Amino acid sequence: MNDVKYEFAQDTRALFGGYLALLHFISIPIMLKGLSTGTSFFSMSDVNNIFVAPLSSKKILVYGVGRQLASMLFLVVCFSAYGGMVIRVFRLSVSNSLLLIAGILIMLVLVQMITLMIFCLSSGHPRRASVLKYFIYAIPIYSLTVVGIYMFQKGMTIENLLSAVSNQLLQYTPVIGWLHGLIFGIIDRNIESIVIYGLLLLISMLICIGVFIYTKLDYYEDILQKAESYYEFRDAIRTGNMSESVMLGSRKIKISRHGIGKGHGAQAIFYKHLKEGTRRSRFRFLNINTIVLMVIALITGLVMNQIIVGPFKKTIIFAGVTIICSYVQFFFSASGDWVKELSKPYIFLIPDDPVKKLIMASATSIIKPFIDGAVAYITLSCVLGGWITDIITSILVYGSFGCVYIAANVLAQRIVGMNGNRGIFITFYMSLIFLLMIPGIFFGVLSLVYFRHILFGITVIAATVMGIPIFLWNILICFLIFFTCKNLLNNVE
Amino acid sequence: MINISHLTKKYNRFKANDNLSFTVNDGEIAVLAGPNGAGKSTAIKCIAGLLRFEGEIEICGYNNKSIEAKKILGYIPEIPAPFELLTIWEHMEFIARAYHLENWEERANDLIHRMELDSRKNKLGKELSKGMQQKISICCALLISPKALLFDEPFVGLDPHAIKELKSMLLELKAQGISIIISTHMLDSVNEFWDRVFIMMDGRIEAERERQMVEESGENLEELFFNITERNNKQKVKE
Repeated sequence: MNDVKYEFAQDTRALFGGYLALLHFISIPIMLKGLSTGTSFFSMSDVNNIFVAPLSSKKILVYGVGRQLASMLFLVVCFSAYGGMVIRVFRLSVSNSLLLIAGILIMLVLVQMITLMIFCLSSGHPRRASVLKYFIYAIPIYSLTVVGIYMFQKGMTIENLLSAVSNQLLQYTPVIGWLHGLIFGIIDRNIESIVIYGLLLLISMLICIGVFIYTKLDYYEDILQKAESYYEFRDAIRTGNMSESVMLGSRKIKISRHGIGKGHGAQAIFYKHLKEGTRRSRFRFLNINTIVLMVIALITGLVMNQIIVGPFKKTIIFAGVTIICSYVQFFFSASGDWVKELSKPYIFLIPDDPVKKLIMASATSIIKPFIDGAVAYITLSCVLGGWITDIITSILVYGSFGCVYIAANVLAQRIVGMNGNRGIFITFYMSLIFLLMIPGIFFGVLSLVYFRHILFGITVIAATVMGIPIFLWNILICFLIFFTCKNLLNNVE
Repeated sequence: MINISHLTKKYNRFKANDNLSFTVNDGEIAVLAGPNGAGKSTAIKCIAGLLRFEGEIEICGYNNKSIEAKKILGYIPEIPAPFELLTIWEHMEFIARAYHLENWEERANDLIHRMELDSRKNKLGKELSKGMQQKISICCALLISPKALLFDEPFVGLDPHAIKELKSMLLELKAQGISIIISTHMLDSVNEFWDRVFIMMDGRIEAERERQMVEESGENLEELFFNITERNNKQKVKE
């Protein structure tokens, strides 16, 4: 199994495809920002001070885009940290590795110029903006289609995936593919690629500059509104107060049924969360996070299905998917109902037992991972098959890790405080998650070792034997922390 | 009655409130006045039980963090924080359910009517302006029929009609024997109904006056405020 993994990593086709995916990942979101009337080009202080200064609007726009470019350079520093790994795994020379990093830098400059052009063309023209949006979406769709068709024709194997992502057709993708073609042309010393893709990129740059010079710009009004909401959003991330207004933006909410309907005292918080859940998503607990999790579970499962062999194959796949999904869940847990509730004074004022309030305020955040897990693992089992014991255990373990995230958050809020430094809070919170998880995993492994003689006869319960101790520990530690941190809701600090 | 005894609130070494002690009797409106950063809002938040502090605070004889105190305490924050995905009416329902209120609908309707929110009853919190959000905060705090009320800059963001209505509500609440503390730096807004004023500077109460005392001495609330705050500022400059 290890040999297969090593070969997969060493294959330069993986580098070819991975680099192209990286260029997509960097450029598409920035281009889309150009359509959203420059949300991140300017800060509120820029709007208040520079917009009223006697400077041409074009100079101000160049400043805004340049400012964003400076912040994006940080990305290059981050990617350069992976240089050593790329050299080792793909056996690249140092100069070629530097060339790949230079390619990212060029992409950043290029994409800023394209963003500027998109901004010039779409500012104040909503119809043009929607047409341009389709053009931008067409770029990754084209790449995915090329890969998809190849895989569909040849079959869903790792080998075919590597061939698909290194398909030359992908280099026809405007700008992103051209830059990719130029960089790999230099690496392969392919003069034809260097000349063609180099020229195409040069022409693109000239078009961007031309559009910028000859367009009349009046964008202050658009920026003003967007900068305000972006400022709110950044402030919310900084302070950790992700309110609904920030999360939902200007999305229109349809009110179908009025009233909370049930619950008294602390229970009213739980029923309020249910009501808010139905307003956010028609299916209450099912939302975009559920779909993302399902897709991640499927991709991880399919990849592992190609690599793993042996009698415990399905069990190992479900365990691997659970590890990946539990990691992803960490990012989902940041926007749970319970975190939002702490940003309002009402939970602190409601006259009820603090433990009850804590449990009721986090009840929806506890239930949701179990439902997300059920959707993801049942879908995965429909595609790959699997024992019912594996499915149920995976759902329970995944859901219980959600409880650990909440418990760690509660404990971190109690110790560091709600208004403390966010950096310290996040570091402490992550360390706590790690510490709280370790005993459960230890008990799980211990249980597996202790009952191994039974497993040789009944492989079907392998996951259950390991998973149930993890689940029980996670639930136990969660309620223990809730009880010991009951004073958390005594004050907002 | 609200009784504050030796209230001190520290942020590291900085004292936001320094040994505050005062009492607000039943049916009395006390005003915490002072310039920005004097510690008015911090004191209000401590009394509401939202911050940690040293000292003792009692609401009608109960410790301010007890469930009994929370049942009878209304708090209107400086920055309104409605639930973005609940309608105005659902805010009323939520408070009624959370506080175990019975037959609350009529009172909720009356409050909503007085704050001119009738036509927006089914609007979500996120769709409301800052002023309307402030009105919801007021309705929520008053729905529980509190015995003690804390207002933190209540008139900021309200339209003239709402200010007029709130002033008349305050007089009604006072007549019902409710203890009220208002924190503000807009002295004009409280001129008609204050009973007792505490002028704060740098976390301390620099002066305390009763209405009768001021009226008899011919002292003017605004002059008193400027005398104290400007005198302190000059002293600071000298130091």
